[in-house]
Amino acid sequence: MHKLKKGIVYLLIAVLCVTQLYPLFWLLTYSLKTNEEILDGQFFALPKSPVWDNYSNAYHSGHYLKYLSNSVIVTATVMVCVILFSSMVAFAITRFRFKWGNLIMLIFLLGMMIPLQSTLLPLMIIFRDAHLLDTRWSLILPYVAFSTPIAVFILSGFMKTIPHEIEESAYIDGASVYRIFRSIIIPISIPPVMTVCILTFITIWNEYILAATFISDEDLKTLPFGVYSFVSQYQTNYGNIGAFLVMGALPVILLYFILSEKITKGMVAGAVKG
Amino acid sequence: MNVLKVPARTIAVFILPALLLYVCIVFIPIGVSFYTGTLDWDGINTAKHVGFDNWHRMLFDDPYFWPAVRHTLMYAVFSMTEIPICLLMAILLVRFIRKPNRIVSIYFTPVILSVVIIGQLWSTIYSPESMGGMLNSVLDSLGLDSWKHGWLTEKNIAMYSIYIVSLWQYFGYHLLIQFTGVQNIPSEIYEAAKIDGADGFKADRYITLPMIVPILKISLILAFIGSLQSFDLVMVMTQGGPAHATDVISTHMYNSSFLSQQYGYGSAIASFLVVLCLVFTIIINTIMDRVERRYS
Repeated sequence: MHKLKKGIVYLLIAVLCVTQLYPLFWLLTYSLKTNEEILDGQFFALPKSPVWDNYSNAYHSGHYLKYLSNSVIVTATVMVCVILFSSMVAFAITRFRFKWGNLIMLIFLLGMMIPLQSTLLPLMIIFRDAHLLDTRWSLILPYVAFSTPIAVFILSGFMKTIPHEIEESAYIDGASVYRIFRSIIIPISIPPVMTVCILTFITIWNEYILAATFISDEDLKTLPFGVYSFVSQYQTNYGNIGAFLVMGALPVILLYFILSEKITKGMVAGAVKG
Repeated sequence: MNVLKVPARTIAVFILPALLLYVCIVFIPIGVSFYTGTLDWDGINTAKHVGFDNWHRMLFDDPYFWPAVRHTLMYAVFSMTEIPICLLMAILLVRFIRKPNRIVSIYFTPVILSVVIIGQLWSTIYSPESMGGMLNSVLDSLGLDSWKHGWLTEKNIAMYSIYIVSLWQYFGYHLLIQFTGVQNIPSEIYEAAKIDGADGFKADRYITLPMIVPILKISLILAFIGSLQSFDLVMVMTQGGPAHATDVISTHMYNSSFLSQQYGYGSAIASFLVVLCLVFTIIINTIMDRVERRYS
């Protein structure tokens, strides 16, 4: 009886592994097939001989490298700004003696419930009038703004727990506030900063709607939007589309391969603290 | 007690950059949105004040608005029904598998991928056989011809096809949240319960469930609010079509503002969405607090 129960549980767990991973594996096989192979209905079949041409075609005609580097530039800038801004705010809220700390925290918390898309239209009008539309700033500014609240929340949760004696003695020794921030608080806060990095990276790297609305210049498109344009442009070139989707997923998958434990922990920390 | 006494200027240096950016990018646009919601405006020509006409039209005259709200709420209900299943799986993983973290990471993989990739992948899976669609080919080879469908093109099925994708993508996310919660329950409690004769599912009923309620609350809120904001997956897969059959609030807002250039009307819908999110967050929080109090 007990063995049977165990068997059922294992089966259930295995079935879910298959449903969660098989679509991704299927995409991989799909990306290595010719159009004829894809259309003949043999969906389980592995490619007869892998068509690497799909990849080189998609790579060249899809401007993969350009989209990739755009994504890197935007995401990296956003991450630097988010970490800088949010750690400064968290530091001020948790360590300075002043009245409005809670109010400022509340403002940021309130913003976490505001859906990004409800600012889409007004932001577009504002950016259009400020001539920021179709520049990287039109992505970077909202990305930073929308990633800051959760980052402030995570960081201030941590900084609250740092004992005050540390900066007290530094303060008495004559260290400036900036010095304390840079040389004491930030080095201690590396673990939550990593969490913020991961969380920001995953959300910003994958963001699609703002990128698709604010950017039309081919040279500025980020990877998700690039993938979307590619798919709508090469509608019947199934193998190439598959290849481009795989390449689009590749950076995050690789990172996940190396850092899976850190990434899952970071995402849960973001959820549970949010 | 915070120790650092600093001049106001220093406080400003630390707080203002983030706060200013934040207010400019999030709060001012929301305000602007409520304002343009009272305009009849195509975004280019001079706007005309129409008061609450847009709101009136949205609530009473737009045949696509309430269906979109219904789809959004259904989205939320579907996402929330997934959570008990995630909890069950989390309990089973902790109890039966020696190194469950590996398996949890496998379940988690779809979460980290961009909606564009997920959406396109599933569009391909759902596409007709003649275009290499996997699902219809599977059904065909199982002899279930009559079950074949145009999963994204038939009006009464398309919305469910999208719900399924969302459930698939976020299964690992909620599982991981529950899993972390279950793992954090100290094992001494179970050992003590075992001596008292509570074992297996009985222990789950009296220990795991009450202790996991706070985590469950987080999961439910995330699922609910996430669904109210559902947008990009629908945009990538169907753009709200066929014939508005998969419109959610956000896609309806997007299509009204950007496709038919009714900026005023789109803003009214966007404002509605903001209000909806705030109201529901408060409601769920209150309900869950009550549940939590009953258990503790």
